Amino acid sequence: MRIGVFFCQVDQEKLINLDQIIKYADNLPGVVYTRIFGVKPKLNPEELSILLKEYAFERIVIAGDSPGYFKPVFAKAMALAGGNPHEVQLASFREHGARGEEAVERAKGILACASYAVPYSLAAIPKGAPVHPSTLIIGGGVAGIQAALELADAGKPVYLVERTGTIGGHMAMFDKTFPTLDCAACILTPKMVAVGQHDMIRLLTNAAVEGVSGIPGSYKVKVRTRARCVDLTSCISCGLCSEVCPVKVISEFDAGISQRKAIYIPFPQAVPNVYMVDADHCTYIQSDGKKCGVCLKKCPKECINLNESDLVEEIEVGNIILATGYDILDASIIPQYGYGIYPNVITAIEFERLTNASGTTGGKIVTKTMQVNKRTGEKEWIFDSTGPSPKNVAIIHCVGSRDKKYNGYCSRVCCMYSLKFSHLVKEKIPEVNCYEFYIDMRAFGKGYEEFAERIREEGTFVVRGRSATVSMDNGNMVVKGEDIVQDKVVEFPVDLVVLAVGLVPAKGTVELCTLLGLTRDPDGWFSELDYNGNPTDTERGGIYVAGMCQGPKDIPDTVAQGSAVAAGVLRSITSGRGIGHHSNLMLSEIEARAKSIHTF
Amino acid sequence: MAIRVNPRLIEDLNRFGAADVQMCYHCGDCSAVCVHTDDMFRFPRKSMRQLQMGLEKRLDTALEPWLCYYCGQCSDQCPREAHPGETMMSLRRWLINRYDITGIAGKFFRSVQTEVWTVIIMGLLTALAALGYHLFSGSIYVVDGPDAFLPSHIVHMFDIALGSVLGIILLLNALHMWSLTMKEGGEASIPWWLYIKSILQLPLHFFTQKRYAECITTKKSGLYMPWIIHLGLMWGYVTMLVLVMVFLPYLQKGPEIFWPAHIFGYLASIGLLTGVFYFIRSRLIRKYAQYHKSHSTDWVFVILLALITITGILQHIFHRTGLPVAANITYLLHLMVVVPWLLRMPFSKWAHLVYRPLAMYFAAVRKNAYAWQEKKQRSFSPDLQPI
Repeated sequence: MRIGVFFCQVDQEKLINLDQIIKYADNLPGVVYTRIFGVKPKLNPEELSILLKEYAFERIVIAGDSPGYFKPVFAKAMALAGGNPHEVQLASFREHGARGEEAVERAKGILACASYAVPYSLAAIPKGAPVHPSTLIIGGGVAGIQAALELADAGKPVYLVERTGTIGGHMAMFDKTFPTLDCAACILTPKMVAVGQHDMIRLLTNAAVEGVSGIPGSYKVKVRTRARCVDLTSCISCGLCSEVCPVKVISEFDAGISQRKAIYIPFPQAVPNVYMVDADHCTYIQSDGKKCGVCLKKCPKECINLNESDLVEEIEVGNIILATGYDILDASIIPQYGYGIYPNVITAIEFERLTNASGTTGGKIVTKTMQVNKRTGEKEWIFDSTGPSPKNVAIIHCVGSRDKKYNGYCSRVCCMYSLKFSHLVKEKIPEVNCYEFYIDMRAFGKGYEEFAERIREEGTFVVRGRSATVSMDNGNMVVKGEDIVQDKVVEFPVDLVVLAVGLVPAKGTVELCTLLGLTRDPDGWFSELDYNGNPTDTERGGIYVAGMCQGPKDIPDTVAQGSAVAAGVLRSITSGRGIGHHSNLMLSEIEARAKSIHTF
Repeated sequence: MAIRVNPRLIEDLNRFGAADVQMCYHCGDCSAVCVHTDDMFRFPRKSMRQLQMGLEKRLDTALEPWLCYYCGQCSDQCPREAHPGETMMSLRRWLINRYDITGIAGKFFRSVQTEVWTVIIMGLLTALAALGYHLFSGSIYVVDGPDAFLPSHIVHMFDIALGSVLGIILLLNALHMWSLTMKEGGEASIPWWLYIKSILQLPLHFFTQKRYAECITTKKSGLYMPWIIHLGLMWGYVTMLVLVMVFLPYLQKGPEIFWPAHIFGYLASIGLLTGVFYFIRSRLIRKYAQYHKSHSTDWVFVILLALITITGILQHIFHRTGLPVAANITYLLHLMVVVPWLLRMPFSKWAHLVYRPLAMYFAAVRKNAYAWQEKKQRSFSPDLQPI
């Protein structure tokens, strides 16, 4: 076999020290020629074929970051030179995770596999180790819940660690799901309750992972459960403590559009359905027990203990599933839409809570009304259920998404939830004018296109062209943009602007990454092992990703990944053999394996 | 009628300075933030689209690029970093090339070497001609009068001759522009009286550049900064051009001339100096979107103008302080820059001095013609409602 190795790069950035790799490539069996073409070379098949003919290559390996870009040229040149165009192999360094400290070693392995024409994923299988049957799931959103239920139903013990006081995640905040317009809570709450009551699931809410040690198959995880100050077993959620609590705090669950007390339950269907104390705002805790303490006197079950301290425990698990989800981009960093300046410019998640029947206005869609704060005397804009209904609503897509200044990527769900919003607005206020400003309508899923058509039929004005600015004109908000279908610059007077703000990785993703030794893709989401083949596995053995933390996706995909990741975990538990870290693979092992399975 | 596309158009445009046209995904932010875009002339997004599609014919007949003063607001707000402002700028360069009947402009814009070498050779030829003349007559120690090193009446004659030839080319180019934009691109037939009706637009936009003052970033910058500077530069330049073309023999009579008679020259010099200093500095520090990318022709333009201004001022100082040799040498240097500058007149960025106000005027005519036609149609069929 006569093999030629060509190095081509798509990107300017130099990721890998090529000299060492070339030296290695020269010594590979069959390699007769190596050459560096550099960054984005202008290749001509005719000229290449002369070179290929001269050396009479039987196989060509194109090595580099995204070498598939150059495959057509080489295949054509190979055919012109009289060779087999199918014998053009790719050694994709970046795709197979050659980065960081082990980049050169990994690249060598990838190159060796390509020279044997063996898929890297077949040759690179790390050694296994015995697996502990229990699993840790970080994040109690719908992905974590789904994975926990799958595993627990299969009879495997699960620890579900959730940062906030309740599981449910973002989905619990939503009103309806697209495209079926099912009630989100009706789907989620039974699952939440099942998790809360399951014998095999230990729920650790208000908790965070602090340290991870051990090897794949038997990880030791340190979990800190912050003081809830309310006894989990004896609280009957009567709510008397919350009634008397004098401290008012902005509600996280209501996305900031309403207020809660310092002792509170995030929402009535929370799991565990137990009150909790916000230690940062509780007067009693902040004053070291000198002030307040009203809730202590009022509680009929005497289950409040404001002096409780954090609990740190170490648990042993075999596999770890990451389902940490996402956060929403801070819309106030985008100046042209006036979020944070004009009261009636709100984000999508705020609108979700506004339109939700359990929200602050009881599901009534209103514009904000001005109120004077009695204590501070300042003017505040709040949602009040007696406030006026909007007559014109603008929904702006792609806010902070597909925008090189903020997030370059598409957040994937915004188009559909925006369409859902206009349906909800039209349903609740029939005479309303609803405008959707979009650039490209991404209705990619099952039933999504039909949903988009349905919204158009309902009479929503769908304007192609993202609006450019929201401004104030004589006390009225005006949305200005170009309607590129009609080819006109248009101004819309509106009362309510909903910004379909893009999604960013959840807070703490970076810390978790360093803790677990994972990598993140350029946009900040967790990297999976192989985008197409192993979407839920990671570089580290026994650590999996599911749901939004791997990249933006909708609820069906998130749930599917929750189930998929459980299959991976169950595979390792039932076979009793966990998969080790890919980064610990020895080059000699890969070579030997590639050699044993290759077919010359 | 279908329009034949030219798929290679963007490649060509890239040589005129456009770079990221393909990045545009048509959100329309740029058109919406631009204060100059209106129902009839919408840009930059539409022009971006025409470029992406390679609609060469449409762009040939477009007035839109000239209506943009490149304040940079669209590039600032572009989510794709497609630089719509720079695209409009490149289109202006491209249009100067398209209007040019000789085809020289295209050579200058596409290749920086051609342009620079032409300037150098023209400068050297000028020097050679002046020195050749010196062999027969004139003295290096004399600045004024018929025995001067470079006597004003000969320079003046030469100026006028050169100016008229290039002026005629420029006029032909302007006629070409008219036929492209108004005959091929405009509404079917525009009656002559509509041209008369809007004629005042031409001097208005030429002398005030009032649309530049309306630009968003101009307003934001306080003191109407780039507009005032640009206007000062233009006024200074035009004043100087008139002084040189018409009054040169009167200004160079001799040392007995009353100094304050030069008042217009001094004012013009201030405008020119401030202008070239401001624009060279802006292009160097590249703080604002409109100066991020400078095409080679932009540099040649400002550098030549700066050299002309500086040598002109130096010549004047030496002349008036009684240093005839220094004055004559700087004068020669001055001419060495002025001749290539004048020769490039219809083929370079210079031409925007003519094309832009013309385009503003044509735009006004087209708008009036559109309104007139609509009115005429409505009077024929009273039932027809405006769309």
